[in-house]
Amino acid sequence: MAVADPLAASSAVPAGEPPGGTAPTVVGRHDAFRRRLARLGWSFSAPALIVIAAVTIFPIVYSVIMSFSKVNVSGNGYSLNGLTLHNYSLVVNYGPWRYALVFTVLYTVVTVSIELVVGTAFALVLERMTRGRGLLMAILLIPWSLITVISAELWSYMYDQQYGIIDAIFRAVGLGSPSILGSAAPSIAALCVADIWKTTPFVAIIVLAGLVMLPRDVYEAAEVDGASGWTTFWKITFPLLRPTIALAVLFRVLQAFGLFDLPFVLTHGGPGFATTPLAILGYNVMFQDFLFGPGAAIATTTALLVVIGCLLFLKVFRAQVGSEIS
Amino acid sequence: MATVTANRPSTSVASSVPATRRRRRRGRGAPIGPAMWVAVVVVVLFVLLPIAWMLLSSFKGPASIGTTSILPHPWTTSNYVSAFGGNGSGDTSGRYILNSVIVAVSTTALVLVLGTLAGYGLGRMPMRGKLPLMMVLLMISVFPAIAVIAPLFLIMKSIGWLNSYQALILPYTAFNLPFAIWILRNYLMGIPKEMEETGRIDGASPLRTLWSIILPQALPGLFTAGIFTFTACWTEFLMALSFNSDNNFRTIPVGISQFGGQYSVPYGMYFATSCVAAIPIAVLVLVFRKSVVSGLTSGAVKG
Repeated sequence: MAVADPLAASSAVPAGEPPGGTAPTVVGRHDAFRRRLARLGWSFSAPALIVIAAVTIFPIVYSVIMSFSKVNVSGNGYSLNGLTLHNYSLVVNYGPWRYALVFTVLYTVVTVSIELVVGTAFALVLERMTRGRGLLMAILLIPWSLITVISAELWSYMYDQQYGIIDAIFRAVGLGSPSILGSAAPSIAALCVADIWKTTPFVAIIVLAGLVMLPRDVYEAAEVDGASGWTTFWKITFPLLRPTIALAVLFRVLQAFGLFDLPFVLTHGGPGFATTPLAILGYNVMFQDFLFGPGAAIATTTALLVVIGCLLFLKVFRAQVGSEIS
Repeated sequence: MATVTANRPSTSVASSVPATRRRRRRGRGAPIGPAMWVAVVVVVLFVLLPIAWMLLSSFKGPASIGTTSILPHPWTTSNYVSAFGGNGSGDTSGRYILNSVIVAVSTTALVLVLGTLAGYGLGRMPMRGKLPLMMVLLMISVFPAIAVIAPLFLIMKSIGWLNSYQALILPYTAFNLPFAIWILRNYLMGIPKEMEETGRIDGASPLRTLWSIILPQALPGLFTAGIFTFTACWTEFLMALSFNSDNNFRTIPVGISQFGGQYSVPYGMYFATSCVAAIPIAVLVLVFRKSVVSGLTSGAVKG
């Protein structure tokens, strides 16, 4: 598990730090001095690490324990008694959980793919702009900075069948009144559009950052060779951009997998369970049904999937990501 | 690639934009043509129209909010008045905004203090096992909050913290620290080592050196980390919803999501409050655009 205690994790690794990169002075001359600095570093970092461990790592571990326990919640307290696999067997056999799992995975794949293609395309356009790029980037940041709950309310207003402007546009072009949030498939599409509206600009800005840093001379060589724009993109730009894109995808996938705010307000997870991702299902099981055991099992499986996804991703893209992170 | 080359904060888009513009080359294809301008206009409209719709709708009275007319007729500020406590309806939105400000400002201050100390240690001290530690931090910062919500809720319930400011300040601090440490570390690493020696020769304590010599050099990093933390607190929903259900402690997202009764959706009040809540962040983001962009990209792009 990657959620081990950070202090323990660190001691397992030999001193593989590249010398000279981080040490403030005279590497290797005074070991004692180095040790003193290291101690100083740890004492500076300790408050932050303790807060992080107390509020994230400890609860994650606790959540795992809870998922294997019988949890009794009473009026003013709760108790854990006895180890059991019951929570997991309940969850795995629960239809809505299976649906939520498939829904969350598909939703993540679809929205992140679209955001990536559109965001990259727009970044390529932005990169060529000689004027007004600063203004455009500022405009792109607006949806990103908007509270998700607000954008969810806004989209629900626009999708509404009676007074929604989008519904009115559908009627105006002769597509009838589709009752967008009333049935499953349109609701899912509506959710995706709202998500893409908010996060594509984020992807575009990250990709743009990668683009402006690419070496110029390669492109001059490609031009001399008479390569077309399309060939240049696939043979030069895309391979060079891979590290940037890999990390943008990692961030977006993790965010999308924890999807909560948008469907919670926009569709209330409905109709039925049509737009209920894992996070909303877990929330409802815990805070509406007060079933903390099964709720913890849902939370733990979600977290485990995230960790497995991360590790797989880092394995596949290790070369790219490694060079970015180190 | 070694740590030395990978962490120059100056290599973000924000700062490199002017540089590229200065040596604008004709190397990469033709300048953008009409088709691309059309694409730009379409994207800008797609981004801005919903925002414009929200702004316009916030000025629509009961007569026009339930129609698809584009402009409000008549223009009215009644939504703002009823959201912010005119005619005796109670200043609920004002209270939500105050709560959000208290939580966001306290969290940001805590994150900057703890994050600077940790970023300094992790960025400039020869500590063993820094890299795995940074990786763990990075993973925590993107971990789905649902994984910790139940235990945190039960702990807070048993120590009586539900419906309080610290119920949000502490978790927000923990979840925003990893990213802040990450950003501040990158900035602090870029500062020449000689700066510290100056302090040491003068006999200053390590804390004093950090405060008066190193920190002024890292101001852009503090801005970036601060803006990100503030924005994250301002927009966070799941924890605020779970821990602070009492009307007196609701933050803006929770307040907005709980507006209205069973039979009516008060969209006018939604949008009035939303516009007021969105303005501080929009201004912050626009003014500190460069810090935001460099923050967005520092996770993804360095080197």
